[in-house]
Amino acid sequence: MSEPRTLVVIPAFNESAALPGTIADLRSVRADLDIVVVDDGSADDTAEVARSLGVEVLQLPFNLGIGGALRCGFRYGVRHGYERALQFDADGQHLASEIDTLLAPLDDGADMVVGVRFGADSDYVVGRGRKAAMGVLRVLTRWLTGRRFTDTSSGFRAFSRRMLERFAEEYPLEYMDSVEALVLAVRGGFDVREVPTAMRARAAGAPSNRRFRLAYHYLRLLVVLGSSRRSQEVVPK
Amino acid sequence: MSGRAHVVIILLTVLALLFILRLVRGGRLKAKYSLLWLSVGAFMLVLAVLPGPFDALTRRLGVDYEPALFLVVGLGFLLLVVVHFSYELSRMENRIRSLVEEVTFLRHDLDKSQGHPLDAHNPPPG
Repeated sequence: MSEPRTLVVIPAFNESAALPGTIADLRSVRADLDIVVVDDGSADDTAEVARSLGVEVLQLPFNLGIGGALRCGFRYGVRHGYERALQFDADGQHLASEIDTLLAPLDDGADMVVGVRFGADSDYVVGRGRKAAMGVLRVLTRWLTGRRFTDTSSGFRAFSRRMLERFAEEYPLEYMDSVEALVLAVRGGFDVREVPTAMRARAAGAPSNRRFRLAYHYLRLLVVLGSSRRSQEVVPK
Repeated sequence: MSGRAHVVIILLTVLALLFILRLVRGGRLKAKYSLLWLSVGAFMLVLAVLPGPFDALTRRLGVDYEPALFLVVGLGFLLLVVVHFSYELSRMENRIRSLVEEVTFLRHDLDKSQGHPLDAHNPPPG
């Protein structure tokens, strides 16, 4: 049986430094996968670097935010008839060697597979306020989905065609999209699973000390989750 | 209210109505939005010319101070308008996002068919 056509969607915002390593890692493990880099209005030469690496490039004219970049990538996948898609970080946090682990549940009928860091959260040092905020989020997510998720924010994910089509239509467009997407999928009746995967420690990125921004997005998310319908929608098989 | 104040209000309202009509004629205000403001203007005009019925209504509602009712009604109306604008803004944002995606796909296809990126000699602004 031939492998289903799979697209790797890499949202990238000012990632020209990390991108070559990430693409090389992907190619060394799975040369058969098609890659699309969504340049989310970067100020650096992310798009040029991506083109020089020979991957498909979707260059957004201005910054839409991670969710917007992802939806654009998902739409591209749907239009080009891909049967599966992977969401992969540009910064090198995710390991290409873990892709097979992530894709395996799709053969088994899963619609969305979330790669969860081994021993999630253990190597994160978080403040008390952040911890409480994340706790509330976890409780809310649990209440809305009726399930306990280990890591609602992981951006290492795999999607079935069905899920891809849904997310191409409707994907949370703003920051903290990952939690919202999880809730959307579960409540839409999609088969969502978590698998433990190894991940690299996050490359020295900017620690989010933009507290107000974070707080704003957190509150926004609470509103979104709070106003979402509790009843399950029926998914056309 | 004194007669002079009435004249001033009537004058201002008429000026505002003319201004709205001018915007519509110049194509700078959509007719559908102008309806809203024209009806507000008409309401103000009626109120300025014939304050009697409004004053009677105020008394019937048990409001002691007539301008209070006017302010409450006006504020409520403005709030509704602002909510409506937020709604329109959300709709427009969704449309713009979809357009941005379409443009991005077109640019991608164009780059592929030309064999070189569109912005090689023509960087996008900002």
